Amino acid sequence: MESTLVSLLHGFSVAFEPINLWYAFIGCLIGTLVGVLPGIGPLSGISILLPITFGLNATQAVIMLAGIYYGSQYGGSTTSILMRIPGEASSVMTCVDGYAMAQRGRAGSALCIAAVGSFIAGTFGIVMLTVVAPPLATLALKFGPPEYTALLTLGLIFLAYMSSSSLIRTLLMACTGLMLGMIGIDNMTGHFRYSFDLVELGDGIGIVPVAVGLFGLGEILSTPSKNVTGKVMAPKLRELLPTTQEWREAAMPIARGSVLGFIIGIIPGSAHIISSFLSYALEKKLSKHPEQFGHGAVAGVAGPESANNSASTGAFVPMLALGIPTGPITAVLIGALMVHGVSAGPQLVTEHPDVFWGFVASMYVGNLMLLLLNLPLVGMFVSVLRIPYAYLYPLIIMFCIIGVYEVSHSIVDVWIMLIMGVFGYGLRKFGFDPAPLVLGLVIAPLFEQSLRQSLIMSNGDYLIFFSRPIALGLMLVCIALLAMSALSFFLKRNDWRTKLAVAEAGET
Amino acid sequence: MDRRSFVAGSAASAAALLTRPAAAQEAYPSRPITVINPFPPGGAADVVMRPLVAVLEPLLKQPVVVDTKAGAAGAIGAQVGANAKPDGYTLLAHITSISGFAEVDKLFGRTPKFTRDNFIPIARFVADPCVLIVNDQQPYKTLKEFTDDAKKRPDEIIYSSSGLYSALHIPMALYMKAAGDLKLRHLPTNGGGPALTALLGNNSQALASSVSACLAQIKAGKVRPLALFGAQRSKALPDVPTMKELGYDIEYYLWVGLFAPKGTPDAIVTTLRGALDKAAHTDQFKTAMTNLGQDLDYMDQPAFQKFWDADAKRIEEAVNQIGKVQG
Repeated sequence: MESTLVSLLHGFSVAFEPINLWYAFIGCLIGTLVGVLPGIGPLSGISILLPITFGLNATQAVIMLAGIYYGSQYGGSTTSILMRIPGEASSVMTCVDGYAMAQRGRAGSALCIAAVGSFIAGTFGIVMLTVVAPPLATLALKFGPPEYTALLTLGLIFLAYMSSSSLIRTLLMACTGLMLGMIGIDNMTGHFRYSFDLVELGDGIGIVPVAVGLFGLGEILSTPSKNVTGKVMAPKLRELLPTTQEWREAAMPIARGSVLGFIIGIIPGSAHIISSFLSYALEKKLSKHPEQFGHGAVAGVAGPESANNSASTGAFVPMLALGIPTGPITAVLIGALMVHGVSAGPQLVTEHPDVFWGFVASMYVGNLMLLLLNLPLVGMFVSVLRIPYAYLYPLIIMFCIIGVYEVSHSIVDVWIMLIMGVFGYGLRKFGFDPAPLVLGLVIAPLFEQSLRQSLIMSNGDYLIFFSRPIALGLMLVCIALLAMSALSFFLKRNDWRTKLAVAEAGET
Repeated sequence: MDRRSFVAGSAASAAALLTRPAAAQEAYPSRPITVINPFPPGGAADVVMRPLVAVLEPLLKQPVVVDTKAGAAGAIGAQVGANAKPDGYTLLAHITSISGFAEVDKLFGRTPKFTRDNFIPIARFVADPCVLIVNDQQPYKTLKEFTDDAKKRPDEIIYSSSGLYSALHIPMALYMKAAGDLKLRHLPTNGGGPALTALLGNNSQALASSVSACLAQIKAGKVRPLALFGAQRSKALPDVPTMKELGYDIEYYLWVGLFAPKGTPDAIVTTLRGALDKAAHTDQFKTAMTNLGQDLDYMDQPAFQKFWDADAKRIEEAVNQIGKVQG
């Protein structure tokens, strides 16, 4: 512990060198922008800037690139809250309640809560990273395909909690998402599925084009048919800050989101994307007023936004402690280190303490910078809403198209986004909530791969999911959740969801 | 020059003369050159090309831009490269796996979107041999122990790879065939990182990895190298015997090379070869490769062509050896 402190102090001395502070700032600034711009996610942001870092040294390179990554998780909430366009895949859930809050004139409050929640979660993540990285990293290795399958089973069950519409509508959306997730090359046999001879569809349908299309374009397309009063929603300065009541509602979700996000972030692969979904579902399950979710519940913003930030920090645990690229973003970071002759491996700490501790310390500094950068920007971002729709929306559509194209330079992705925009318009008109669809799309390919990998490992024996401790634990949670639902079904208790279905039936 | 490139070259020169008489006199290069990187940024081709273009630009006196066209394990970028205008302004960087795509397509009865004949090889820069590794929870100290145990327990030892027919699946298939149709169970993942993660977590027991990707893990004692797929021993792992020493006549490298679309005029290819030769042998580029844990292993066109033909033959055989997987 003492040696950790000494090393960390050394790290701060590296991080506080003016040149390193500068690169941390640049990284955080670009990260915020990347997060704000719809379509362009952290991966494309880092990729575009990777060549620039070849001229820097290893510490500067990793400080700047990592800044882009966690910075983007701050910025991702902005467009979600203001315009219902997810800046990142991990900000999809923020679109639901954040936008609802904005519609009630609480945009500034939602942005503040998101920024502060992100700061708390990010800092919590780094403290954990500093203190317990090595043992946690071993845990990450224990998270093999069977554990993944069990976690995603939990995700599938949570799908039902994902929306503010009735169960049948939610499941319909979820199934559509799961089916869209089946498109692409079958990793196990090499067959193309539903690809219509388009090589681009071989990699499956991207989450970003679908999320931006369904939420953002769908919203924009539905605007002309709504009564747009000329009145602008932009609030006064005093109204930008959250009320005491809102802070109180946000406190526990931020705490829970921080812990949950960090744990999920450690898991190798793309699990971090589902951290915000799981946090949302958890908050809704725990909330005394689940019916408020979808209509501007503070917890629906605070939880997911905190979760995605601590997840982005958690993702560094296996990368730093084990030196393995567990996801696409950490792979790029390891590539950036390798170019400078720093081979990431279990001995990174001992061989390159400057890089390791400088990087860790820079994240403390970076998170503070992001908070100071984002809070004053809240007022400015909210002012964006003053721009008349006739000018604002075409600009947004342009940014969406550029952003989505930039991800993999694929025009097919742009078409997917546009088609999903029209589809999203239809969904909005008929009162379907697209969030479960996006989660289904995220889960399907991961679930299929990990399920089939598990069965390869066990030679077809399904008991593998119950014979490994972590998998067993997660499966028991699944069974408990299903049992609870079944119980309330048999007892014919009318919960909020049944009431909703009745209300929906009454509407039509 | 072999017949194929002769025919391709003369056909292209004729076409160039017929269609663009003015352009023929234009000195190459007179505008920026694009190098397609078919893998994600920071991937195998990217980390070689970025330092290369940095030293190539002053030699060609034109900007050289790396353009990422990732997707379908490198097939999308290769297809773009194959269909590019053969004027020397669009080149393709690719790795070992470029040889396998057409063979996999044939296996599935699909018409290949491109074959090896669509490309003129220009130069190879690095060739990182693969190494067969097991994790530290396995008892095997030598390849013989591993092979013997695998024979005793057919289809029980699991090896991970970066995907079906992928660059890390092929070497294992070569080894299994050479060891007398060994039966191991294949766990495909979606990349080199995940394949190594599976090995470290003991979800798989063996993996054929490139030396540079697993050297740090070997040094930390987390994985144990059993045999090298190179023709000679590796400088980084002097104690690890080669497959050839152990009696298996197999070789496998993850190499990175540069290609031009078929039909690129000979004069342009010659210009490029000259510039690349100089660029690759600069200290700056050599250092960049050493940093990556790979030494410069430069091959000019004739040598590269010969190497590529032999390499592709091995890969095509391995793809057919794997065959169609029943799922």
